Amino acid sequence: MLDAHEQLLAVPLLPLIGALLCAVFGAVKELRSWSHVPAVVCAALSCVCAISVVAQLNQATLPVTFPHIDADRIIWFGVDAQTSRLMVEFGLSADHLGGMMLLGVTFIGFWIVVFSIGYMKGSPGFARYFAVVSLFLASMNLLILADNMILMFAGWEGVGLCSYLLVGYWHHKHSAAAAARKAFLVTRLGDVGLILGILLLWFMTSQEGFEYSRFFKDVPGLASSYPVLFPLSCLLIVLGAVGKSAQFPLYVWLPDAMEGPTPVSALIHAATMVTAGVYLLARCTPLLLAVPGVQLTIAIIGAFTALLAAFIALTQHDLKRVLAYSTVSQIGFMFLAVGCAGPALPKIAVVAAIFHLFTHAFFKAVLFLSSGSVMHAMHDVIDMREFSGLRKVLPVTHIAFLCGALALAGIPLFSGFWSKDMVLEAALEAGHSERFGTIYLILFGIALTTALMTAFYTFRAYFRTFWGPLRMPHGAHPHETWVMNLPLIVLAIGAVLVGIAVEPFTHWFSGFLSKAPFLASTPTPEHHLNWPLILGSSAVALLGLAVAYFMYVKSPSTVDKAARSVGRVYSYSLNKLYVDEIFKVLFVQPMNLLAGICSLADAVVSDLTRLVASIPRGIAVTIKPLQNGLVQFYALSMVLFVAAFIGLLVLFAK
Amino acid sequence: MLTPDLIRLLLPALIGLPVLAALVLRLVDGSRARMAALVLSITHFVLTLAIVASGMLDVQTDPNVSSSIDRFKKKAEQIFAPQFVPGDPLPGGKNSYSTTYDIIAFHGTNAEGERVKLGAAQFFIGLDGLNIWLVCLASFMLVPVVLYSWDSIRDREGAYYSWLFFLQAGVLGVFLSFDILLFYVCFELTLVPLLFLIGGWGTGPSRRDASRKLFLFTLAGGLITLIGIAGIVLFVYTQSGNGNQPRELTFSIPRLADLVQANLSQSTSESTRELWRSTQVYLFLALAIGFAVKVPIVPLHSWQPGAYTEAPTGVTVMLSALLAKMGTFGLVRICLPLCPDATLSVGMPLLGVLGIIGILYGGFCAFAQTDLRKLLAYSSISHLGLSVLAIMAFSAGGIAGSVLHMVNHGLSTGAMFLLVGMLIRRYGSAQISDYSGVWSRLPILTGFLLFVSLASVGLPGLNNFVSEVLMLGGVLEARNSNISSIAFTILAALGIFLSAWYTMTMLRRVFFGPEKLPHTTEPVKDLTPRERFAVAPIAILCLLLGVMSQPLLDVMKRDVVRLSQVGDEARVRAK
Repeated sequence: MLDAHEQLLAVPLLPLIGALLCAVFGAVKELRSWSHVPAVVCAALSCVCAISVVAQLNQATLPVTFPHIDADRIIWFGVDAQTSRLMVEFGLSADHLGGMMLLGVTFIGFWIVVFSIGYMKGSPGFARYFAVVSLFLASMNLLILADNMILMFAGWEGVGLCSYLLVGYWHHKHSAAAAARKAFLVTRLGDVGLILGILLLWFMTSQEGFEYSRFFKDVPGLASSYPVLFPLSCLLIVLGAVGKSAQFPLYVWLPDAMEGPTPVSALIHAATMVTAGVYLLARCTPLLLAVPGVQLTIAIIGAFTALLAAFIALTQHDLKRVLAYSTVSQIGFMFLAVGCAGPALPKIAVVAAIFHLFTHAFFKAVLFLSSGSVMHAMHDVIDMREFSGLRKVLPVTHIAFLCGALALAGIPLFSGFWSKDMVLEAALEAGHSERFGTIYLILFGIALTTALMTAFYTFRAYFRTFWGPLRMPHGAHPHETWVMNLPLIVLAIGAVLVGIAVEPFTHWFSGFLSKAPFLASTPTPEHHLNWPLILGSSAVALLGLAVAYFMYVKSPSTVDKAARSVGRVYSYSLNKLYVDEIFKVLFVQPMNLLAGICSLADAVVSDLTRLVASIPRGIAVTIKPLQNGLVQFYALSMVLFVAAFIGLLVLFAK
Repeated sequence: MLTPDLIRLLLPALIGLPVLAALVLRLVDGSRARMAALVLSITHFVLTLAIVASGMLDVQTDPNVSSSIDRFKKKAEQIFAPQFVPGDPLPGGKNSYSTTYDIIAFHGTNAEGERVKLGAAQFFIGLDGLNIWLVCLASFMLVPVVLYSWDSIRDREGAYYSWLFFLQAGVLGVFLSFDILLFYVCFELTLVPLLFLIGGWGTGPSRRDASRKLFLFTLAGGLITLIGIAGIVLFVYTQSGNGNQPRELTFSIPRLADLVQANLSQSTSESTRELWRSTQVYLFLALAIGFAVKVPIVPLHSWQPGAYTEAPTGVTVMLSALLAKMGTFGLVRICLPLCPDATLSVGMPLLGVLGIIGILYGGFCAFAQTDLRKLLAYSSISHLGLSVLAIMAFSAGGIAGSVLHMVNHGLSTGAMFLLVGMLIRRYGSAQISDYSGVWSRLPILTGFLLFVSLASVGLPGLNNFVSEVLMLGGVLEARNSNISSIAFTILAALGIFLSAWYTMTMLRRVFFGPEKLPHTTEPVKDLTPRERFAVAPIAILCLLLGVMSQPLLDVMKRDVVRLSQVGDEARVRAK
């Protein structure tokens, strides 16, 4: 059997091999319909390896690394001069944070790959789909496990590429093509910030290497010797996280990214890739603790995005878009929690963020997969105005969606409840701090409001889809298959139980995560149940549920009335606050204009050179007639010039 | 494995074989010319591979040259250490880093009135860490070009391939030469085949205009560089004779570099040092102009989009992949070691800023183009702007990244031009608006182009990412008091976004979306096996160099570090 280090390497390597095999299967005609097999097998094996690594971490305090800590380092590329060391190594390291992320990614990833077998069946490019999904899992695992920031960046860009390829999976569709490009470019904007932040950190830490451990070695020293540059580099890293995790103002790509196949939305745009930003910020906690201003910025961005996205989600008709905005909103909660580290104890704040990330991955994946199941049954229609009452024809999907919705809404005892409660508690704790205390309290208020809205829009979607009279679009053939049902059931169980099983009574999750090296040295909080908060957030969630029930089941006529009574607010929400349009005016059009100006300037430069080049020719043309070949003319001009010359001499001679 | 003596013997063949091929190909025509060109180009590549594979280790670990310098010993140091120099006077395969093969000898009279030899322009070629991979690239790229031209060039094939080989010989001459005059002659000689190729086989209506523009620009720049070369040689000659040493007329780049370095940092009199330092600025400017035109650096670029568009695609590949690199290589080989102080005081503030302008301006211009080839031409300006900036940073990361980027950019841009050429040949149009949904019709071509586009936008795991990170790091550690290296890095990094912006927009317009039928009457078919053979090796290299570029960097490390130390000494002097 493999030892721990090799298992660690296998976690990203196996899906990579899977991707290659899928591509090979796709190239051979006879094997093409079997090209999901390598992806499924490799995802399963990778999950087993991840579980084994985490099991070993559970007993250990030191991270598992590859290569072994005593073995030679593997160099990716670099130059080692006397004055500086620009060396990028290939090193993997799983600490408790990475291990927990790994568990979520490989486990959920495996089930989503299984779901995809049924969902993607018969679609053109079947092999391409599984190859890219497998490559995605490899990149995501690399992102999590990399022990230096350039390697992490490699995984970071790799998942971005896979997202691009999968959003644009139906490449002949205009909307898919546009969404793919948008997703790539908007996240790329953040990536430029991230790589700059990494390089600046390298520059400040006396240019040694890119390992996290080197960056974290002397943070207070850094902060004091680079009072401007250090916060700047932290902000640039936050920019990267904001882009990838679809936070304000760079969230605009995520709703459009729903053009991709639904399992992709579940895997990449809900459970794993979009939470990479939260992971990165959690990983960089030692840096961020030194810059409270940046922490506050993160918290504000998070809370603001949570509110904004929830507000937009209230009125969307597209089921997947509701879920997409809800993802943006929930990641906003995670950002808020990460941003509370410092004013609140890191062991509360960071753990809350990662715990919410973990439960969110389960319940959002099940929500997306069941909406995919709906879409599959409804012949690719996902507009909630086109169907209703589906609980009778899609029973398994209905139950799975309900589990996810209960968790997302934060109904007591379901997983989302526990993690959201922890986020709120972190914000409340931060509100008691001296510095920025009031601001954090306001953010807590925003978060609570958002929780109310979350419960409402979640159950609005649920009731509109599954309750009421049975209506279906033309061509729909509702059916469920075991290959799609099984992942739904597994993940739905996860959505219900994963919260209560690991944290509120056993504190296993926080205990495990607190063993991560960067958290271990921080003070440990007492575990207690904050009853007022629990009761308050339960009340808020139930209230949202009740309002949705009243409006969409009890008396559907109130919906229009309510919409009309808040007419303008309603249309703001429906039109997504016109953010896309504002972006177009503020960013896209100036860029296009600038490109036009540059291109025009270039034409001018080109013509200028032509002008300069034409000067000799112009002179030649003017004096050419003088050389007309008539000897008489030459003789005459000679005589005239000699006469003029003599005349000058006579006139001016003394 | 070849022995060092054998390599020394074979090295001239790297230039000789293409010249010979050019002569032979004059005699044949038609399909035989194509076949002969393919065989000869592959032979040349195999020969290059054999030489490089067996000589790599010697370049990396020459026991006679240490990679560190002892500043206190004040001993004249070897900045460039060319290996396998044909005509090395030392017996038994030892390196004296000089040659005895004179081309033109210059004579004068000494104090006693005797006629003595002062110095000579020599046939001085060799391999070192800086040129070894560029030589590989120059040898390799001709193979896909020949394969591509197989179908697209259907008249006077013999003459066409003959000029191509002549062009390759010139490029190899530039990369291999360690004699400044030989360097210059090869540099200018490439112009002749280019003119014939663009004028004779060009595709566009204004090819005469384009080739004239190219000729005037490069010739004007080249002449100024010649003045700079004459200036540096004569300056060293007139200044070197102080004390009891005889005057030294040398054209050898390593010797010139050592003399400059010795006089700058070890000369006893302050006035001498001051003179050497102030003269550099003018020499630097004169030398750099010819190289700047060749790269091209904004605002000397206006010959380039026209030339790239009008030239036959094979020649465009040579232009973008190889000839542009002669400019950046000239900066590394000649400007940095011969004018180190001026590089810091003038190079970075002037050429560095122009490089940044090129990155941004080229990126924006590329986005606005409606012609596929012009888009690639401007993207080349943008990418090479970063390369120039990194060279001017004069740091180990910058030089290594830049030299590596010359190879990487040569591969990815070469492949882009090839694939776009294949696309244009099928659809009969270069206008982006004539395309849509090519993916549905040509999946293999799309796959390749998507792959090399991703390499070109710097996706990690593919080749350009490695060199871009090195270059950005190199700019960040420029330690140049004349500029803010942080601001420069931030501006340069915007290029990462811009390249993604125009490339992804182009991909979306051409390959995604509903399918649009071409104007041509014949059915459009996917890549032929020959075309696949042309691009697949480049794509594989893009991946390999992205994952394992350390062997390349190891080989160039000694020379890069040594050159960067010249920069470090200049930094000490500037304080």
